[in-house]
Amino acid sequence: MDGLMQLYGYSGFANATPGHLLMILVGMVFIYIAIRFEYQPILLVPIGFGILIGNTPFIEHGGMALGIYQDGSVLNYLYQGVLKGIFPPLIFLGIGAMTDFSPLISNPKLILLGAAAQLGIFMTYLGAISLGFTNTESASIGIIGGADGPTAIFLSSRLAPHLVGSIAIAAYTYMALVPLIQPPIMRLLTTQKERRIKMKPPRSVTKIEKVIFPVFGLLLTGFIAPGSLPLLGMLFLGNLLKESMVTKRLADTAKNAMIDIVTIILGVTIGASTQATTFLTHSSVLIFILGATAFMFSTAGGILFAKFMNLFLSEENKINPLIGAAGVAAVPESARVAQLEGLKADPTNHLIVHAMAPNVAGTIGSAIAAGIMMSFLL
Amino acid sequence: MTSIIQYFPVNLSEIHSQHVVMAVTGYSIVFLSFFLLALLFSVIPKFLSWNIRRTFDDEGDKVKKALAGNMIPGEVSAAISMAISLYLDELHDQENAILTIRKVGKTYSPWNSKIYNVINTNRFQ
Repeated sequence: MDGLMQLYGYSGFANATPGHLLMILVGMVFIYIAIRFEYQPILLVPIGFGILIGNTPFIEHGGMALGIYQDGSVLNYLYQGVLKGIFPPLIFLGIGAMTDFSPLISNPKLILLGAAAQLGIFMTYLGAISLGFTNTESASIGIIGGADGPTAIFLSSRLAPHLVGSIAIAAYTYMALVPLIQPPIMRLLTTQKERRIKMKPPRSVTKIEKVIFPVFGLLLTGFIAPGSLPLLGMLFLGNLLKESMVTKRLADTAKNAMIDIVTIILGVTIGASTQATTFLTHSSVLIFILGATAFMFSTAGGILFAKFMNLFLSEENKINPLIGAAGVAAVPESARVAQLEGLKADPTNHLIVHAMAPNVAGTIGSAIAAGIMMSFLL
Repeated sequence: MTSIIQYFPVNLSEIHSQHVVMAVTGYSIVFLSFFLLALLFSVIPKFLSWNIRRTFDDEGDKVKKALAGNMIPGEVSAAISMAISLYLDELHDQENAILTIRKVGKTYSPWNSKIYNVINTNRFQ
């Protein structure tokens, strides 16, 4: 009988708390929206399942070393890739190998929209300070506004490792919800006439330009913000592997097998890090609210800057301000949202190619912002 | 209202000048690096076309020199790509004229068996 009672004591039924059940529900919601609505399924399915793994209750002090926060557990070993900032640069390598920077090279002024859309990072940094977070915590929370999961994980693992789980979950949740968050702001800040602006088709880009871009891009951004080197170094390396055309095998591995493996491990461990006993805190709620604010400011920053640029541009070179919203790095979701909103205003106006320029610039911008934060705070 | 303030204790006096300076400087540096990148990639195509023109000039090819650096518009590229794609897709028009007849086999199932239906009808009468 004692043996049975001991077995029961080790089981999930004996150790479940309302927090565990709530988080299991959250995990199921993640899996549901990923499968039902196909919102970022590649990320949300591993994260959602990771939440289930991390929140299946067990005796934390039973000496079994199961939990992600317990030394010696398998999950803890995998989680080191997050805590030590190893996974984000590897993901950036894959992103670089997938990304075509041609829209940006063909119309370089659109890159500025990617800078403007980093407004949310710095505004949220101040907002988090006003809510009592420390300097390093605030910078980590602010980076959610960059709408780039790996960058958010990278910076928070450096500056506020205890908040990595909350920040990553907030970042990926809002990235998945870009189609719901951005359109109302886009409609609020633009007129019907502005949404109908047709932009000039981009010129074709030569191979030399495509090869030069990662090399000069790295040197320029690296010299200005060396803190961003782990991310941008890998991003531009991945892009050079792709554009040089002589390292196809390496580019294929980076953009397929490698990024998939890292995404699975990253997603599961981030999900599992939301263990109810450490995750369900007042700070996590505040981080979620600040994260939403960051996304809104970033979207508004990009749109308003596009309108500002239009004041100085000739009629045929005007920018459709909707593509400013794509300056947040959620690639390619925010560019798709710009395309859909553009089509609603004018069914013949296709903005996706133009929107990809600020979209990929946003990835670089958020990494630079992270590098700057690290330079200031470490 | 009190409870909201308790949950979200916003205190603007926590924001010191150093925080504002960091935010403004950080945002400006992002802009600066992107401005330089934009400037660089506005100049590079001009430099490349100038370099090509110079090469053709050395070779004495005036026609190529006049065309050098005139970038093909995206619409033209798209039209060429579409034409090539259509051409490659149409290549299967010349069929090999070999016909394959595959045997269609019906797998047996008692659910659609005529014999069972016929035999069992009597049993229920």
